[in-house]
This record gives sequence, C-alpha cells and structure tokens, in this order.
Amino acid sequence: MKSIFSLLFAGLLIVVVPAELFSQVSTVYASVLSTKLFVVGAANPETGLYYQRSSEDTVWHHMGAKNIREFGVAVHTPSRGQLICLASGNGVHMTTDGGSTWRITTGWQITEVLAVTIDDANPNFMLCGTPYGVFRTLDRGTTWVECNNGIAQKFTSSVIIDHSNSSILYCSTEDGVYRSQNRGDTWKRTGLNVGGVRVVVQSPKDPDVLIAGTDDDGIYVTRNGGRYWEKSEAGLDHLTFFTITFDPVNPKILYAGGYMTGVYKSIDGGVSWTRKNVGLSNLNLHSIAVDPTNSNRVFAGTQWGGVFRSDDGGDTWRNAGLSGSQVWQITVQPF
Amino acid sequence: MGALGALRTSNVIRFSLCALVLTCVSARSLPAQGESSPAAQFEKRRQRLLDVVSQERDRGFFTVTSKFITGRDTEWAMAMLDSLTTDEGIGGMFYSYTAIGTYLRLKDQLPDSIKRKIRQAYRTRTMYRGDTENHWVMYYTGIYLAAQTWPNEDRSQWFNGKSSTENFKEAEQWLNRWMNITSTIGQGEFDSPTYFIVFMTPVLTLYEFAKDPAMKRKAQMTADLLFADFAVDHLGGNYCGGHSRDYPDDIANPLSAPAALWAWLYFGEPKTELWGETRYHPRHRGGWETASGATSSYRLPEIIYRIATDRSRPYIHTETKRVRNIIRFGPEKNPPAYKYMYMTRSYALGSLQGGILQPIQQHTWDVTYISEKPNNTIFTLHPFYSGKELAMFFPEEQKFLSDEVNRYHLVYTNPNKWNSSSPYEQTFQHKDAIIVLYNIDKEARQSHIDGFFPKTLDERIEHNSGWIFCRAGSVYVAFFPLKPYEWIEEKVNWRWRSSVAKNGVVTEVGSSDEDGSFEEFQHRIVKSKPAFNNFDKTFTVHYKTRRGDEMKFTFGGERTLNGKKVDFRTYKFFNGPFIQSERGSGIVKMTYENRVRELDFNKVIIKEWQQSKQ
Repeated sequence: MKSIFSLLFAGLLIVVVPAELFSQVSTVYASVLSTKLFVVGAANPETGLYYQRSSEDTVWHHMGAKNIREFGVAVHTPSRGQLICLASGNGVHMTTDGGSTWRITTGWQITEVLAVTIDDANPNFMLCGTPYGVFRTLDRGTTWVECNNGIAQKFTSSVIIDHSNSSILYCSTEDGVYRSQNRGDTWKRTGLNVGGVRVVVQSPKDPDVLIAGTDDDGIYVTRNGGRYWEKSEAGLDHLTFFTITFDPVNPKILYAGGYMTGVYKSIDGGVSWTRKNVGLSNLNLHSIAVDPTNSNRVFAGTQWGGVFRSDDGGDTWRNAGLSGSQVWQITVQPF
Repeated sequence: MGALGALRTSNVIRFSLCALVLTCVSARSLPAQGESSPAAQFEKRRQRLLDVVSQERDRGFFTVTSKFITGRDTEWAMAMLDSLTTDEGIGGMFYSYTAIGTYLRLKDQLPDSIKRKIRQAYRTRTMYRGDTENHWVMYYTGIYLAAQTWPNEDRSQWFNGKSSTENFKEAEQWLNRWMNITSTIGQGEFDSPTYFIVFMTPVLTLYEFAKDPAMKRKAQMTADLLFADFAVDHLGGNYCGGHSRDYPDDIANPLSAPAALWAWLYFGEPKTELWGETRYHPRHRGGWETASGATSSYRLPEIIYRIATDRSRPYIHTETKRVRNIIRFGPEKNPPAYKYMYMTRSYALGSLQGGILQPIQQHTWDVTYISEKPNNTIFTLHPFYSGKELAMFFPEEQKFLSDEVNRYHLVYTNPNKWNSSSPYEQTFQHKDAIIVLYNIDKEARQSHIDGFFPKTLDERIEHNSGWIFCRAGSVYVAFFPLKPYEWIEEKVNWRWRSSVAKNGVVTEVGSSDEDGSFEEFQHRIVKSKPAFNNFDKTFTVHYKTRRGDEMKFTFGGERTLNGKKVDFRTYKFFNGPFIQSERGSGIVKMTYENRVRELDFNKVIIKEWQQSKQ
C-alpha cells in the first residue's frame, strides 16, 4: 500500500514540477590570487582555481596549478567547462579537458595576466589583459599577439568580447575604456574620459549597455556602446569599484563592490543603488557573480575574507568558505 | 636532433674558437701564482666556507651540496634532499634553479630514486615565475638547465605543459634578453647588498652547467659584470652607497648583508668570518647561497679583485642603471637611475639622484666607513609610503597594496623604517660632499625625515655653528641640518628627526688622511655654512665645500658645480678609473694599472691585454 502511495506521489511530482529544474545544477569557480600567508617562493598554502560542483556543495575543490598568482578565470560555457583559461602571473593557463591537464599557452613576453576572456561562439579567439596591454590569440593559445594599437595607457584590467559581434572588443585601462571594431587591430577610446578604470562589463541582453567601475571616480554607465557615459551616483557612498555584474536573466539587476563598499545592488539598470551588507563581515570586494540558474543566489569574493554567498538576492549573506583568501574573480556556470 | 640540438651545434663551433684564443691571452696576462696570490687565498677561503657550511644543518640545497662535496654527514644530507624533493609545498623560482643545480652537481653521487624525484618535481610542481627581475633570473635559469638535462620530452612531461624544446627556447630567449639589458642599460634591481645573492647564484649555476658555449660564456661575462659592479662600490666587505633594494637591518648594519659574505669569499674582505660574528647578526646564515660560489668552477678575474680591494687612491665613479618596469602612472617604462660614488681607503660616500627609483626598499644615500664596530654608516631618508607608489610597479589594486606589502616587508608603512624611496627627496653629490633636499607634500602620510647615527660612533658633537660632527676612528663626518631637529635614542643608534616639510641636510666626509685631526677637520668645515633662505620663495641651497667647490642645488631644479650645470644625462653606463662603458654599447672595459679586461656582450667575447704604461 505504502509503495502505491509512493509511486502516486512521485508521479504527481513529475507532473507539477518542470523537468528542467532537476537539471539546474551550477558550478561556481573562484580564482584565489593569494592568502594572508602567501610569501613569494616559500612553501605556501594552496591558491589558484577552486570550484564547487553543485550549488549546495559546501566544499571547495582545487583544480590546476597551485600558487600561480591567479587573477582571473574564463570558462567556456558551451563546452560545459571543458575549456577553461586562467589569467595568472605565469601567463595564460589553459585546459581543454575540463581540468585534467593544463598548459601555459604564453611565453615570457606575457606576464601578470589580469583578465582573460573566451569567445563563446569561436573558442579559438581569446583575449587577455595585462599591465603591458592587450594580447589576443586566434588559434586557441598557440600564438598570442600584442594588440595595443591606439591604446595610450596600456595597463589593462578587464577585457570583453562583445557577445553579439565578436569583432567588437572593449577593455578597461588606466585612461578610460577603449573599444575595437576589428578584433583588436586598432582601438579608440570611448567617451569615458576618466583614469583608473578597474572594470568594464557588458549587459548580457543589450550589447550597447556597458558599466564601468573606477579607482576613484565611482561607476559610469553607457547605453550606446560607449559613445556617452553617465555617472551613476544615486545611492552610492563610495568611489572605488573593482567588480560589477549583471544578473544574467534580468539585466536590470546589477551588483557592484570594491574598496570598503560591501555589496551595492541596483534594480533599475544602474540608475540607483542600495547597499546590501547584512551578514557580510568583509566589505572589501573584488568579485561578484550571479548564478545563471537562480538569480537569488549571489557569490561575493573578498580581500582576505574568502567567499560570501547570498540566497536571497543579496539581502543577507553568509560565509561560504575559502576563508583568508583574496578572491579576485568568481564566475558561476549553468552546468 | 631538433631545434635545440641544431642551435647548439653552430654555437659550439663558433665559441670554441673564441675560447681558445682568449684562453691563450688570459694565460699570458695572469701574474705568477703563489701562496699569497689572490687565487691561492680564494682557494683557502673556498675550502673554509665549504667546511663550515657542511657542518650546518639548515634545510636547503646548498647545505646538502656542501655535505656531499666534503663527504661529511652525507646520510643526513641524503635524507634532507629526499625531504626537499618530496615536499610538494616548496616550489617556485627558488626551487626552479636550486633543484636542478643540485642535481647536476651531484648526479654521480645520487641514487636513482632521488634523481627521479627531482625529475618529477619539474613534471608536477608549480614553478611560479614571480614578479621581479631576480625571480625571473632564477626561474629561467632553472627551466633552461632542466630542459637541457631532459631534452626531447613532450608536453606531458613538464609542469607547464610545454615540451623540452619549447621550455629551452623560452628560457634561452629570456636569459639572453636579460643579459643584454643588464650589460647595456643595467639592472632594475641594481647594487643590492641583499638581492645580489639571488642574481649571483643562478648566474654561477648557469655558467657551471650550460652546455651551449655561448650561454656559458655569457653567464661568465655577466658574473664578471655583477662582481665588477659590486667591486667599485666595495669597501672592506661593505656594499656602499645607494641601493635599489635592501632590508633595514642591512642598511643599518652593512656587514650583516648577504653580499658581505660574497665579499669575504671573493675579495677577501672583511678579514673576519662573518657567520660567527654576532655583532653583525648575519642574515646570510641559513640559505648559504655563497656556497654556490665555493663549489663553482668560476674564478673571479684578478683585475676585479684588484678593483675591489685597491683603495690606495680616492676615486669618483658614476653609473647609470634603470628603474624597474613602471607599469602605470609614469611616462617611461624604465627611466634611468643615476649613481655617484666617492671612494677612499677609509670611507665611501655614495648616492642615487633621489625620487622613486624602486618601491619599498630603496636606499638613496649613505656614508659608510671602515670600522671594527657594527652599524658603520650614516644616512637620512623620508619614510614614504603609498599605494600609488606600489601600483606603479605591481598590478594588484593600489588600495590594497600597502597592507599586502606590509605583510612581506614588515615595515613598509612604519614611520621609523630605515628603507624608503620618496618622491620628495633629491640629492646632489660632489666628491665627499652631498646636499639632500626634502620637499614633502602636505598630503604625504609621513612628513618627517630621519637620520641614522650609530651609537658606535666615537664622538658626536653638536657645534654651535649648527654643524653636527661625528668621528668613527679616523673618519670624520660633518652634518648640517637646515631645519630644527630632535634626537631620539634607540637600541643601536640615535635617530635624528626633523619634522619640517621643506627641509634638507648638507654632509661632508673626511678622514685623517686628508684632514689631519678631528679638530682640524671641524675647523675647516665651520669656515663654510650652507646658504639658503627659509625655502619660502625659492628652494635653493648654496654650499662651498671645504675644498672650495661651489655647489648650488634647487629642489626640482638645477644642480650646478662651480657655476656649471650638472646634467645627469651625460652619465655613462660606467665611468670611473676602473670601469668604463658607454650606455647601450654592450661593451664594458675594466682597467687596473696597465691591465685591461673587456667584456663585449655583442660578440660574446672577453678580451684581456696589457696597455703600455704612460
């Protein structure tokens, strides 16, 4: 009798719950630059790339080389993480088999790579940003070529391949945001004429909407591909922003963080902001990421405080591990 | 054979010819060898050092190597080597070159199990390349020698996923590039009493084990160059004058610096065995990198030994180095750093031009003198720090950098630190006189300047003329503060402190050789006094030295000597009685009496000859 009820209940579930919910697992990747105990050349605590396979996983697993001063990570979503690139002190590390084997694709010419990105549609095309400017590969890392023509101050902290047109690129530098329309052959500075741009991000829906965070000048928004930028000030009490992220499902929702800021959230596309710091015991942020399978699930990477997590869209936060770590970048992938 | 082999073959033919010719020249020009010859004395010190290190039990490859070479305590050494090759926590650039260096040195004595572990380290262990010049020299030396040792292996056999050929080519390219830069525009981490060891040790390792004759000779020439660069600033074991990077303890007590042990080994000075000298608190215990010199077949050319030790005549020596890579907030990637040195047999006065030439650990000027007592130096500084300074050189966020650097270099934000660059400090030196000016911005976090005066001075007198006179044995220092100051007593020194933002000091140094008694020196000095207004309108100091030279110095403006403008841009790469080189030429000529040794980095040739006496 009991088994009959069980079967009926199971059937009911199958009927009322959308089937795709069962497959909505996600993977969180966290790029740990350093720990409080790090000393160059010494026997150091493990740093580098960490991941959690399931959104409910409480354990972080390490992947790839250790202690490489890893700044950034790019995960190729269509391959479900078979292709991953790491931006590190040693150059660009790459795996094409989901992390079983790794290779440094760059030589001595490229160092202290701060950011790397992969063209989702054509994974042979990648871009990285370094203190010495932008480099690109068109053959999946076999050769990297410097492409800084037109960039005045080369120090580059973030790079974007336009998701709607991969000929269009953006990068954030020490003298503004630059745009290329020819895959990096030449660059022109956009209308943002401020120094110390730490990060620029693109809306997942509207490619002409970009938001930039700066070292000393707050947040700027453009809605026309960089021609004009507006300073976003409503609700912001801070000026230094290292990370900005869109909710991939609803790009009206944004999160931002930086030096002593905690988390700022906008629900109107960056027009106004509200601080969301309940439970966040470390206010120095360098990375925020929203789970594409559940917009309420947000991860924040801190300076020396590890990862914090919110399950209610930033209203409350709790520590999610990697304590003592300097988490430079986080990405959450829908697989 | 592959690219690696092809490359080597052509070089072997070319350089074996050169080596043959040069060996003949060298053999002719060497003086007769005897028990008291520099070479024989070096052999004694070399054996002595190996003997000492082989009795140590520090955890390191150099201790292990010394034990194997002397045959002492080899069981313990084997266990230590096993531990060093098993512990996965150790990696990076230090490991990269020491592990392969030890392997190559001891391979005939090591069991296969240890050899396999060392090989395995290059398969599985992260070798972080680092973010400084010395890191890269160590890293690529290690990669070069490892790829040379295990050629023709595919990508799966290396930690970085590159094949032996790829690793070898990359390391070879970078090492050649570094040696070319070092021999044309200089090191970024130049003249460092601490970091000297992490250039010298990998370079000697490369010299010892590189099979390519071109690379081997270039490493030899680079070793010559680094030793010669040290030699002209050397006095009794002390690495004198301005340094790109140094630690506070070594600045305040120069013979505690690691370079002093290299001076002992190669220059025979100081005479004392520093490792046993508690007064110097030697920091070079533990690492024992100098043992790599004792095990190396590299021999210091006698001409460099003479340059390092002959102080029979005072001399002026100038150099141009370069600032390490400026990655933001600067118009130029590697601006020049200018060095001035006045050397005598009892003291040296040396300086950099001031400003930010290196982050964190710069030492801009000092007078260092021969003494049996420790802390044999006097200098001043502005203890500057800022995230922006760090962000000029490091890619991390400037808002976080000060805290981060404070964790490694514990004193970075400390107002009492003894090492610092400062954008508000500038110098003008002529022979044994120096004017140092400070123009400290209102926004600077620390607005005072400090001076180090050791308690080991024999005398320190505040004269009513405004001069402060110091005596250390036969060396005399006259120090004129331009603004009010106070003294703060500390453990080994008196801290001279002045908290006026527009500030400066004038210093002259003398000795009994040229000034007679201390009283006579004072008498000569007080005849002159620095002339300046209150720095309200102009920031200029005029000073007539006791020798009668007129110095005029405006902060941020001109330096004139006897009415003639001093232009640093005319400085050569090396210019003095012992070393001469045009910047960018790649040719460095060393001269001692009638002997000449020329390093031609363009042709990778060493020439030696004797010139006719004038």
